[in-house]
Amino acid sequence: MPGSSFLRPLVGLVLMGMLAVLVAVSVGSSHVGFSKVLWVFAGGGSELDRTLILDLRLPRVLSAFVVGGLLAVAGALMQVLLRNPLADPYVLGLSGGAAVGALLAMLAGTAGFIVSGSAFAGAMLATLLVFGLAHGSGSWTPSRLLLTGVVVAAGWGALITLILSMTPAARLPGMLYWLMGDLSHSGQPWPGMLVLVLVCLLVLPLGRSLNVLARGSMQAAALGVSVRPLEWLIYLLASVLTATAVTMAGAVGFVGLVVPHMLRLVLGNDQRLILPACALAGGILLVLADTLARNVIAPEQLPVGVITALLGVPTFLYLLYRSR
Amino acid sequence: MTTLASHELTIDIPGRDSGSPLGLHIRPGQIWGVLGPNGVGKTTLLHTLAGLRPPRSGQVLLDHKPQASLRRKQISQQVGLVFQDRQDGFPATVLETALIGRHPWLSAWQMESSEDIVLAEKALQALDVIHLRDRLVSTLSGGERQRVAIATLMTQNPDVWLLDEPTNHLDLHHQVAVMNLLTAKANNDKAVFMCLHDLNLAARWCDHLLLMYPDGEACWGPSEAMLVPSALERLYGQRLITVEADGAPVFVPVRS
Amino acid sequence: MTTRRLTVFILLLLVPVTVLGETLCASDALDRNVCLPGPATRIVSLSPGATELLFSAGAGDLVVAVSAWSDYPPQAEQLPRVGDSSRLDLEAILALAPDLVVAWVDGNSRQQLDRLAQLGVTVFWLAPREFEHIPQAIEDLSVLTGTPATGVAQAELFRNDLIELEENYAEASLIRVFYQVWDQPLMTINRDELIGKAIELCGGVNVFGHLPRLVPRISTEAVLEAAPEVIVTSGRQESDRQWLEDWTAFASLPAVAAGNLYLEPPDLLARPTLRMLDGVKHLCQTLETARARL
Repeated sequence: MPGSSFLRPLVGLVLMGMLAVLVAVSVGSSHVGFSKVLWVFAGGGSELDRTLILDLRLPRVLSAFVVGGLLAVAGALMQVLLRNPLADPYVLGLSGGAAVGALLAMLAGTAGFIVSGSAFAGAMLATLLVFGLAHGSGSWTPSRLLLTGVVVAAGWGALITLILSMTPAARLPGMLYWLMGDLSHSGQPWPGMLVLVLVCLLVLPLGRSLNVLARGSMQAAALGVSVRPLEWLIYLLASVLTATAVTMAGAVGFVGLVVPHMLRLVLGNDQRLILPACALAGGILLVLADTLARNVIAPEQLPVGVITALLGVPTFLYLLYRSR
Repeated sequence: MTTLASHELTIDIPGRDSGSPLGLHIRPGQIWGVLGPNGVGKTTLLHTLAGLRPPRSGQVLLDHKPQASLRRKQISQQVGLVFQDRQDGFPATVLETALIGRHPWLSAWQMESSEDIVLAEKALQALDVIHLRDRLVSTLSGGERQRVAIATLMTQNPDVWLLDEPTNHLDLHHQVAVMNLLTAKANNDKAVFMCLHDLNLAARWCDHLLLMYPDGEACWGPSEAMLVPSALERLYGQRLITVEADGAPVFVPVRS
Repeated sequence: MTTRRLTVFILLLLVPVTVLGETLCASDALDRNVCLPGPATRIVSLSPGATELLFSAGAGDLVVAVSAWSDYPPQAEQLPRVGDSSRLDLEAILALAPDLVVAWVDGNSRQQLDRLAQLGVTVFWLAPREFEHIPQAIEDLSVLTGTPATGVAQAELFRNDLIELEENYAEASLIRVFYQVWDQPLMTINRDELIGKAIELCGGVNVFGHLPRLVPRISTEAVLEAAPEVIVTSGRQESDRQWLEDWTAFASLPAVAAGNLYLEPPDLLARPTLRMLDGVKHLCQTLETARARL
């Protein structure tokens, strides 16, 4: 597997990503032509067009890209960690923790930064909780981690229902949109992008170790991988990625599951290719999904999580059906 | 070339008394067979020798250095292991599977070079699975997978080869081919240490034997000294008839 | 409180009549003719709006329990609760043995209320979607509680005030209004919503009046495109003023350029009750101020 064979798919994905961003920036509830978009990028255009494209659409489209990339990479890492191709970033209850944090903040009547901050805190708390419990008295195996995560996630689910049922009706829509995943208030994309790039740079040299880890922890140890520190690290990284994504856009479903799986079917399972490809393909998928969410019933809006689920479920089933 | 030794080693099987401590010296050129009934701890011993689980007491030495003091990567350049069961949650081709054997020898940023691929292909050739090069491992038969696993160890090319039931799932021809390959490796100054079910394969190919008794006792030494019918009968709790064929003893179980 | 005394007086007058067995009937929001053998004496209200309307109809003393969030008039806060509008405690309701339950189409669960009806409780449904439905509801409730005089009087007052408002603003110049219901997600109302009707009454043009859904969710860019001349919200609390602050980032918006960002008093417009009239008056004045600034 010489490195040059990785280059072609990645370059292809970069080009597709740029195209997706351009398309996404060009369509919205108010019509701005493709040529006008280029004109705005070149520094021209009316004040309204500039506001629309540079202040509203571009940050949102980039946020969508970053969130998609974060979730897809987190999903791919979780799948290696749990040695289970069907794991997703939320499987260990991380989104539940984030949701409880965010909803409590919303229930208290706060907005904006405080909601994001408590979502992040909730996600990291969930991470530590699951890891601490699964660690228990000594050994933790992927299946024990998975089981702990699933049970803890169910607990978070109950807390979410409790919060929702205690909430006055007027505050409910905000909470429900948050739970479904929504990009309209994701804020600036840059912090998330920084996290994504840093984590990608950090995991790339670990790629071959992850390939070995995917064959099981014993096999990996026999081939010279320090399994426990590596597993700690990827769990932590996947958690930070997911927490960042959840903080930006709520719990957008299916990206972390579908994207790594689709890429594996096409590109094989070399993490050195899959991880950067996930960052790009996840970004592209969410940019396109969010473009649909903004435009299907424009000027009315749908939460992007609905679109990813509606696209993700049939795609996933089709791929599963086709692949023996 | 590396000598793998154990000093006062007892393996750790939860809820089981420590057996007699082992003081093995597995030297280059030797082929060891581990014999014993099911559940006696053969696999645990192999994992302990590979440094994958801590011993209850005593230590494992690699060229007189305590294995616990070495880095995992260094250990894996000296000691390799073929497991009895394998996970394949993720799809991987036969060539990719063999290539992971190069992991101990590559730095983090290094990609597998064409030489690495040649090494892997040679190993696949030697194990007669080169024609399956691009197939997914999950689509192979048990015997084919076993040979891919041995090819992976051959690609890893450590000094000490630990194998857990390497002839499992193999047909007679491939059993012989694998044993011959291991003999060739030993002649090439590798040390081979394997658990075997088949007493007669051990008698035929191993020059050293370790007998692990259910009561925790163990004895080891050159094969000629160990292949005593009464000792083997006690080992398996099974009466045996000994015949000689082709210059080696053959043990046949007595019916009922 | 002379009206209260008058109510009691009229009530006393009516008692002998009902003893004679006169049936009281009114048509509810589900177009059913709801009849009672005599005036209701034990009423359970299942939404804050219904509670308010019952008090306006002069039946406040007959209400024995209310749903959560019933906070107006203040006396209502003292009453026992029977659960949240969407999750009612049916046992508690039955235990109170009400002879009339007032339900709200947009809040209560049809299934729960049907169950109550099966158990022999009389349910009267309300669904005010037009200004006229408000006085109508008060009249209907006062009929069922045997206090028609109070109801009719209150209803007439409301109708007259409304007509006066309409006349006042009939000639007002049109102004483009964006009414913000919520900020995350960004939501507004269409022309079928009562607030939408209030905007039209005050001579405003709801920029999202044409959307099909009652409470549409929209994008920021749709608001920029619609270029409203005034942005109004009636957030629940003063901190929601931040919603308005956020718009100042878009200087190209006519509403921002003119400084036309207004926080209406919360609660007045929120419920279709008599207080809504004050809310509409306030809104009309706000739009009047906004016109002056254009």
